[in-house]
Amino acid sequence: MIKKENMSYNKITFQRILKSGITKFFRGGLISVATVLVMSLSMLVFGGVLVGGIFVNGIISGVEDKVDISVYFKLDSPEEKILSFKEDLESNINVKSVSYVSKEKALESFLGRHKGDTLILRSIETVENNPFSANLDINAKSTDKFEDITRFIEASAYSSLIDIDSMGKQKITFRQNEEAINKLSNVLSVSRKIGFSVSGILALIALMVAYNTVRVAIYNSKDEIAVMQLVGASRSFIRGPFLIEGLIHGFISAVFTLLALYGILFWTGERIASAFGGLNIYTYFVSNILQISFILLVAGALLGVLSAQFATKRYLKV
Amino acid sequence: MIYFDKVSKVYSPTSIALDDVSFTVAPNEFVSIVGQSGAGKSTLIKLLLAEEKPTSGNVFFESHDVHTLDQKELPLIRRRIGIVFQDYRLLSHKTAFENVAFAMEASGKSDEEIQRDVPHVLELVGLMDKAWHFPHELSGGEKQRVAIARAIIVRPDVLVADEPTGNLDPKNTWEIINLLEKVNVLGTTVILATHDKGVIDSLKKRVITLDKGKLIRDDQKGKYVL
Repeated sequence: MIKKENMSYNKITFQRILKSGITKFFRGGLISVATVLVMSLSMLVFGGVLVGGIFVNGIISGVEDKVDISVYFKLDSPEEKILSFKEDLESNINVKSVSYVSKEKALESFLGRHKGDTLILRSIETVENNPFSANLDINAKSTDKFEDITRFIEASAYSSLIDIDSMGKQKITFRQNEEAINKLSNVLSVSRKIGFSVSGILALIALMVAYNTVRVAIYNSKDEIAVMQLVGASRSFIRGPFLIEGLIHGFISAVFTLLALYGILFWTGERIASAFGGLNIYTYFVSNILQISFILLVAGALLGVLSAQFATKRYLKV
Repeated sequence: MIYFDKVSKVYSPTSIALDDVSFTVAPNEFVSIVGQSGAGKSTLIKLLLAEEKPTSGNVFFESHDVHTLDQKELPLIRRRIGIVFQDYRLLSHKTAFENVAFAMEASGKSDEEIQRDVPHVLELVGLMDKAWHFPHELSGGEKQRVAIARAIIVRPDVLVADEPTGNLDPKNTWEIINLLEKVNVLGTTVILATHDKGVIDSLKKRVITLDKGKLIRDDQKGKYVL
């Protein structure tokens, strides 16, 4: 029997693979430069999708947070019962948060909103008792959960505390704005799906472009790979330098991408924020730079190494 | 040492590269395999190196059928067979020194052995002064000498040369043939595939003649007869 080699991954072999990979990258000249450039562009699309996805999600979440259900209670409803009802609602899986607005707080905020309006302030003064009712503002985990939450409220033992409007219906704002909220919910849901699909397609295209770039670079070495095998090099010894080279390509591309993203977001962050409102994407990028750098560097390294792994497999058949 | 047992290689019904070829090569022999282009010389070498599989028959290196070896065993056999090609097939991004050293690195030799043996072999092929040149900076003859240095650096049991002088002028041709003879004298079996009549006739060694994939002659001190 032939003695199987045991040197595949020993220290000296690893050092040789590492040295060979680094040398190969620097001697690669134009091919190395072209590979890094194309991979950088792909990574930029990937990074753009990553940051853009967070931005779009931020806008959608911002809109969702602004939509809530308010439940208004009868003037004589005891506060402790309303607070018990609040606890019940908080334990509902569809509810994100519930805030209690007391009668006093409601009056205070009304007065605050109409500070300069003397007519309204005088009208309030003429009413002896506080005319405002206490209410609960409920945020749902997503806008399509409002229907379920409203049903939960209507079926609750505390529903008798809820005030009745002039039409004879309970004062639950969802029922009053049901159609508009459902439309908004649909728009947000479709927006999320479109955003997710577009991100997925763009990321996939970026990955394919990067993989093909590495594959073309390795295709140029296919004859040399065959010779290395005929000279008696093991598969790992041949593949290793290509993986190291892929790692370097991916790492440098990730650094270029980070620099490019920084520059692009620096110039556009403020403008996008004022155009679409809400999140300043540049501020978000800078405050999360460590996590984004980590994701891009790991993605770049994985992209380079895995592309080289698949591409060399194709030619390691002699 | 090497045994071809009823080996056939059929690419298609109209393209039969080798047809029921059997022969043996003993240790320290110098065997020339001759034939016109398309006779099956290169296919025979590819089968020995397990670069291709035979349609039928077996190729043995010592007791090992080379086509039944797995991907970990095959490199170990290939390290015992040095190979030289007509088109040199050097690693373009490595210098002459690094090309020769690559074979030793692949065999797991130590850095000390590499630093000691590579200059010695480059000296033997007369290329010490071009050790740090890349292949594109070398002439055809120089490239072929680097290829021979790479093939013999690991002291293989067999050196296989597939048309090694096909791209060389007469002066370089004889230098390469002299090198192969020297390697053989030092104890390495040499298999030379060529269609150069002048080279074969002057060697006066064993000649195996192929014609249209069939082995038609096997002469101990043969000449190029076709």
